[in-house]
Amino acid sequence: MAAGSGRGLACLTMGPTSRETWAQRLGTFRASPSAFMAGPEGEDLGRHLLSDLRSEKLSEPTKISLLALSLEYPAQLWPDAPAAEAAATSLLDTLVLLPPRPSALRRPLLLAATTALAAGGALGPTSGASRRLLPLLLGLASGRDLGRSFGPASEQRTLQATAWECLRELESCKPGLLGGCLGLLRGLLGQEGAVQPLSLLLALALRNALVIQARARAGLQGLLVAGDWPTEGGPWNWMLAEEGDAHLQPQAPSWPAAEEGECRLATLELSPEEARELRAAVAQLLDASYLLTPVAQAQLLWLLGWALRGLRGQPPVLFKPQLVRLLGTAQLTLLHAVLALKAAFGEALFTAQDEALLLRRLTLAAQHPALPLPARLFYLHCLLNFPENWPLGPAGEEAAPLLLGSQLCRGLLPSLLHDPTALLARLHLLCLLCVEDEEKEEKGQDQSPRRYLEELLAGLRQRAALDGGPRALATLCFQASYLVARCLAGQPVVLTPLTHGLAQLYRAQPALAPHFVDLLDRVGPELGEPLKVVLRQEVVSRPGRDEALRWHLQMLARVADGDAQSATLGFLQAAAARCTDWGLQQALLQVCRALLRAGVGGGLADLLQALARQLEDPDGRDHARLYYILLAHLEEPKLGVALGPSLAAPALASSLVAENQGFAAALMVQEAPAPIRLSVGPHRAKGPVPVLQLQVEVLEQVYSLELRFRVERQIYAPLGAVHVPCLCPGRPTRPLLLPLQPRRPAPSRLAVRALYTTPSGLTCHARLPPLLVNFADLFLPFPQPPEGAELGFFEELWDSCLPKGTESRLWCPLGPHGLEALVSRHLEPFVVVAQPPTSYLIAIRLPPDSRLLLRLEAAQADGVPVALRTDDWAVLPLVGDCLRGLSVAG
Amino acid sequence: MAQRAVWLISHEPGTPLCGTVRFSRRYPTVEKRAKVFNGASYVPVPEDGPFLKALLFELRLSDDDKDFSESRDSCSHINKTSIYALLIGGEELWPVIAFMKNGMIYACVPLVEQTLFPRPPLISISGISQGFELLFGVQGFLYSGQKNDSELNTKLSQLPDLLLQTCPFGTLLDANLENSLDSINFASVTHPQKQPTWKAGTYKGKPQVSISITEKVKSMQYDKQDIADTWQVIGVVTCKCDLEGSMPNVTISLSLPTNGSPLQDILVHPCVTSLDSAILTSSSIDAADDSAFSGPYKFPLTPPLESFNLCYYTSQVPVPPILGFYQVKEEEVQLKITVNLKLHESVKNSFEFCEARIPFYNRGPVTHVEHKVSFGQLEVFREKSLLIWIIGQKFPKSLEISLSGTVTFGAKSHEKQPFDQICIGGTAYLKLHFRILDYTLTGCYADQHSVQVFASGKPKISTCKLYRFKLT
Repeated sequence: MAAGSGRGLACLTMGPTSRETWAQRLGTFRASPSAFMAGPEGEDLGRHLLSDLRSEKLSEPTKISLLALSLEYPAQLWPDAPAAEAAATSLLDTLVLLPPRPSALRRPLLLAATTALAAGGALGPTSGASRRLLPLLLGLASGRDLGRSFGPASEQRTLQATAWECLRELESCKPGLLGGCLGLLRGLLGQEGAVQPLSLLLALALRNALVIQARARAGLQGLLVAGDWPTEGGPWNWMLAEEGDAHLQPQAPSWPAAEEGECRLATLELSPEEARELRAAVAQLLDASYLLTPVAQAQLLWLLGWALRGLRGQPPVLFKPQLVRLLGTAQLTLLHAVLALKAAFGEALFTAQDEALLLRRLTLAAQHPALPLPARLFYLHCLLNFPENWPLGPAGEEAAPLLLGSQLCRGLLPSLLHDPTALLARLHLLCLLCVEDEEKEEKGQDQSPRRYLEELLAGLRQRAALDGGPRALATLCFQASYLVARCLAGQPVVLTPLTHGLAQLYRAQPALAPHFVDLLDRVGPELGEPLKVVLRQEVVSRPGRDEALRWHLQMLARVADGDAQSATLGFLQAAAARCTDWGLQQALLQVCRALLRAGVGGGLADLLQALARQLEDPDGRDHARLYYILLAHLEEPKLGVALGPSLAAPALASSLVAENQGFAAALMVQEAPAPIRLSVGPHRAKGPVPVLQLQVEVLEQVYSLELRFRVERQIYAPLGAVHVPCLCPGRPTRPLLLPLQPRRPAPSRLAVRALYTTPSGLTCHARLPPLLVNFADLFLPFPQPPEGAELGFFEELWDSCLPKGTESRLWCPLGPHGLEALVSRHLEPFVVVAQPPTSYLIAIRLPPDSRLLLRLEAAQADGVPVALRTDDWAVLPLVGDCLRGLSVAG
Repeated sequence: MAQRAVWLISHEPGTPLCGTVRFSRRYPTVEKRAKVFNGASYVPVPEDGPFLKALLFELRLSDDDKDFSESRDSCSHINKTSIYALLIGGEELWPVIAFMKNGMIYACVPLVEQTLFPRPPLISISGISQGFELLFGVQGFLYSGQKNDSELNTKLSQLPDLLLQTCPFGTLLDANLENSLDSINFASVTHPQKQPTWKAGTYKGKPQVSISITEKVKSMQYDKQDIADTWQVIGVVTCKCDLEGSMPNVTISLSLPTNGSPLQDILVHPCVTSLDSAILTSSSIDAADDSAFSGPYKFPLTPPLESFNLCYYTSQVPVPPILGFYQVKEEEVQLKITVNLKLHESVKNSFEFCEARIPFYNRGPVTHVEHKVSFGQLEVFREKSLLIWIIGQKFPKSLEISLSGTVTFGAKSHEKQPFDQICIGGTAYLKLHFRILDYTLTGCYADQHSVQVFASGKPKISTCKLYRFKLT
């Protein structure tokens, strides 16, 4: 094939300009496709490319380079489905129009048309290009005579293989597309021809069909039995593809982990005949699998493993004959595929002995000197994620398999001579072995992995301490320390020497401070706490030379806390004199800040005052002064919040500005959405003044809540604030009682604001929706008259209303339950004399000093006449509304 | 099992970008599937420029490794495989397979057919091993028989076309790229029934089988009480079977003499059709004893057309072939060195070449050398701070030779002198290189009787043994 570098050829057949232009255009495009598409030539690139493919002036190699571009960047050339469809149509036209002599363009044209359709999302029953391409591919693939237009016989084999690949890609992108051709494919597999592409396509289509049918709860419906060939322009069976459309199928499923796919396949009901056919098809594929290249064999095994997993009545023993052959190879893909089968079928395919053998081969491969390092590392990964028949540990966590003893791992111990990646991988294994060996060691057994581990870590530290060594060495040392601290967090016997070794490393090489800070930020307290202590000692006990000062300060800013205050402050005082440049001063102030947060008091105030005077840089002085003021004025918890991570995005120039934003955010009251919801609860008519019962619904946890109320139009006396120490969502709350002191008896609205502290210490302010106080909420009963004197008491009140007050009559409609219900529900506490069910005398006290008397007598079915008197004429309209409201409420 | 994109990047330290993308290929149909499978966790394959930058940074191959960078140097950023996550434009592209060999970085991004969050274990992603195989294949193609840059360039220019054959849609069809090169040439041959895909055509001509056994020994001798010396033989058996017929059956056996060292850790070529369980289980993991399987090692197979590595093995020979002693004493600016070497009497005393390399690290240039050798001659490479002791074709009758001398160094200048992370202070090493023709340390051999061919015609069998040695 003349596809390679054919520039010389091109010059013979065409004018150089066009070829040169394309070469340059393609070069620019490849350098940055997005920049090219945004430029002036971008828009028309796709169109020009298609038209120039038919140009007689351009040579074949140039056209091939154009097609190569379309194979890689169809989304840029033809960004939507209609454009992709048009491009595919144009490519197919170009293919058909090629003269019947040998041409290197047919193959890339087929690939390009397939790519355009699949990548552009145009593949489907309504696409004309799809209807042309699919039968064409199937015809080419099956080796049927397609007429002279498809070039000389010499090209047929290449095109045949290409067509199979195109079909496989289309099936991958649109599962079920070839579901209707399963029978045909099976038939072809038995005949001569390219075994590999056919096997892979059949396996893929079979797997997809099984999944789709399982989802539709249908059987295989004779799909495995041969059918008719689809013809060009004729109908294509899109049924399965349309069903499978919404669910792109993983070709290689992720690890079984009992995901849903398994359950889905289990629902597939196959008739005994179908099951037999399926078994035969799989056996046929497996028997011919040795004819495939190793990578293709692996693909076939993944696909078939997935197809049969969880399928009832399909024992995986079909795979058994392949396994021994596969276990002996050095081929990464094959061993990986065996592991996939192991994961898929577990004990059903691998006995305990098989599992041990597989583990042995894997261990061997992970350390085999003849294999490339990346492969060995991957095998090691597989070892730590080995799909055991009966795993003990939690799923998804790396662990040494049960059968992998320290004997097997002897060859996998890490050494300083290893490449960093290999060292870390092997170190992880070693750590896992140390965990297992913990018990044995306690019994005092020989030659422990732990001792080996300690020596290795010491070696790593020694290298990290080298002057002028590459940073990678330091990084490796800290990564190893982190790994050990994480895996062996519960083993002080490992962590103690590690802590001291790291302290020594710091002593030797303070420039590693950023690594130490990073390590402290990431390890748990088991290593973090003791390490912090020894590092602090290390810093404050030896002031060090000047170049180390900035590292010491950086270190101290991380490790300084309330302990060993005087030593720390002493160190800082001594250091202050040597902090001559801005950077050092800032580093010094960072330590002060850390101490402030830790709540260090007295001595620090003196230091800050001294710094505020003595530092050369004004920014530094301001900073010191600010810290001093904060220290002097804020309580400890508030100080912690104020100096905590800044809420405002840190700004650049002056760190003071950035920090001030942080303070402002932390010290000021913030506006926030309401953390609680308030509502007025049931009316309690007792006591000297009306009291609102407020129901609280807690949305967020708040502390020191203060609710402030403001009465609209000042109808009531100003209300006191209500304080609640703490509210938690989900915890029951008692209603809040809010006594009202009306200045006149009228409904009103209360504006409510909440001030509170969040769990993070910020003070917030929120406005709550206003609360409505109804007229009825102000009702209070009169004191109970002595028994027998009720009527007299009422009549006395009745009479006393006039002449100052007023009398009125109104009709109060009644609901289906009648007067009795109305009274018992709303007016019960105020009844003085009752003659159920028709007559009630009611006396209501309206603070501050009004009264309302009601006579409900001679009730009828649909209503009751109400005679009322009050000594405050202003309440009359309110009474009317209120009574009508009560009757509506029932 | 498909790949979303492949790159070849040459590492060029000292240039502004520290590297150039020499080849890249994207697979848009796979990318489309990635978008669906990965869902919200989908991160698109970046353009070459940003990819190059992010990859070199992650692999520590860009020059800006001076300052601590959290995204690369953090202690929790641990890579235990050649698979990386690259931070590009605020998003993390994962998994990226990448490794460097001979100054060339091979990289690809396999398709993960599920969501990437939480990250599935690598073992569950079929595209990982397929990606490795693709990159190994490309590497094998670029460096098979390649001698210089212009040959490399020629091969790079063939690559787009080859990948169009072997990986047209991102799913690898054959990791042996040269096979595809052959199949392009064999295109006119019609396919008989049951032709293996890994065999591009059939052989016509005189039947012939050649077998070559090469053994290397890697040995480290510390001469210290608390560190055990190690020596391990690594063998590879290469075959070329020129036999007629589409699928001739061949059995090749390897044998050991009675006192030979058993072969262990045997890994075979996929064309081997079955394996004896004794071969499958013979492993260096077990302590060697007399019960170890000592052959003959039979390999029934259907050979491919091209030359192939029938098997790899390791072996534990009882003693190292050459016992070395190396002592360094520091005396101010001088180093006093003493070397003794002793060839074991069982080893064939006839070398193609034999030399000892004595490098000095973390010091200034060599300014002066005074030495005495009992045998051979010493060459001094001052600028490289290296001494080479050329021993020649034979050890003397005593089988023992020695070298002693003093080496003086100039002032240390950081840039030019070699740096080494192991050779600090008094720690130093010498490396012994030699090759013995027609000899194996294990005794492993193949002869006329080792090959059984179940096909017409009696083939000519040729065998050869080669023994390479590297002692540290």
